Amino acid sequence: MTASRHELDVLMARLAAGDRAVFGRVFDLLFPSVQRLCLGLLKNEADAADALQDAMQKIFERASQYDPERPAMPWALAIAAWECRTHARRRMRRREVSEEAGFEPPVTFDPEEGHVRRDLVEAALAALGELSETDRETLVATYWEEAAPVSGATLRKRRERALARLRGAFRRLYGLD
Amino acid sequence: MASIDVVGLRKRARFAYELGRLRLSILGVVPVLLVVLAAASVANRPASTLAFGAATILAGGALLWYGREPRKAVFPGIAAGLVPLVLSLCAGRVHTCGVNGCGTLCVPACALGGVVAGLAVARVAARRGLGLWFFIPASALCLLTGAMGCACLGYSGVVGLVVGFGAGLVPGLVRRAVG
Repeated sequence: MTASRHELDVLMARLAAGDRAVFGRVFDLLFPSVQRLCLGLLKNEADAADALQDAMQKIFERASQYDPERPAMPWALAIAAWECRTHARRRMRRREVSEEAGFEPPVTFDPEEGHVRRDLVEAALAALGELSETDRETLVATYWEEAAPVSGATLRKRRERALARLRGAFRRLYGLD
Repeated sequence: MASIDVVGLRKRARFAYELGRLRLSILGVVPVLLVVLAAASVANRPASTLAFGAATILAGGALLWYGREPRKAVFPGIAAGLVPLVLSLCAGRVHTCGVNGCGTLCVPACALGGVVAGLAVARVAARRGLGLWFFIPASALCLLTGAMGCACLGYSGVVGLVVGFGAGLVPGLVRRAVG
């Protein structure tokens, strides 16, 4: 795991410098983690597939701006998390429109629970979107067990601060913790 | 997870990567465009300044897009080329260059600027331990940038620049060859 993370850091730096030969390997290393993150955040296979495709394109579009001093995986997952947030917002708007039109999407499990879970995920993603890129990277690394940009006491401090800011954003957006 | 065309996604991601590089390279040459416009506004022969300027922008943009070692040549090459460009433009301001000759000031200014630029390029290459893939593009960009001003006297100014630049490179190359 750590070896592949280190490999990804090195290859991402080479890709950022213009070495196209490593493109395929970088894609292969990123794909499963981004896929897991999208599925974990959106809890819906179709939305996750859409978000995954957009996220992979965004990551590679910004690959040349990657800072080799930072670990590549949290950087890429922060971009993917942002894409998931965009998709969740889009889905929320779609649902509002369909509810206004009196259309209820078919559900295969407890509809109440499904709604609550989706709303919570969307709310969390919206609050996550209020944070800085560093805070997002830290939280994504913490909760999706990906390599963090830092470790030890620095990571704990950074995580505490990021969580405090996330709580603040949540409170500001929804008026509750 | 809903089925994903991974091969198609890989192609789109690759296209996005190239697009991202292209966008960055365009942003990277914007300052050069400003230099070209400023030089053309004070040059005696704006047409040749614009022609060499366009070549500098295209070459710089292409190198930034391509990346790797040649990308590292863009900034030092253009920065070194500013020396003969500024010197020749100043020489052109001091007196009027024309087809009938102004070699007394223009050509020496270009040659002197070329020497300084050659020394600078050789020094950067030696400091960073860069090889031929730095030298060739850096030299080309330096000469193109300098030529924007040195074309003030037909092409003899450009010849003066090239000769001066070559002379400036010699000490660095000798030091490199000796060890």
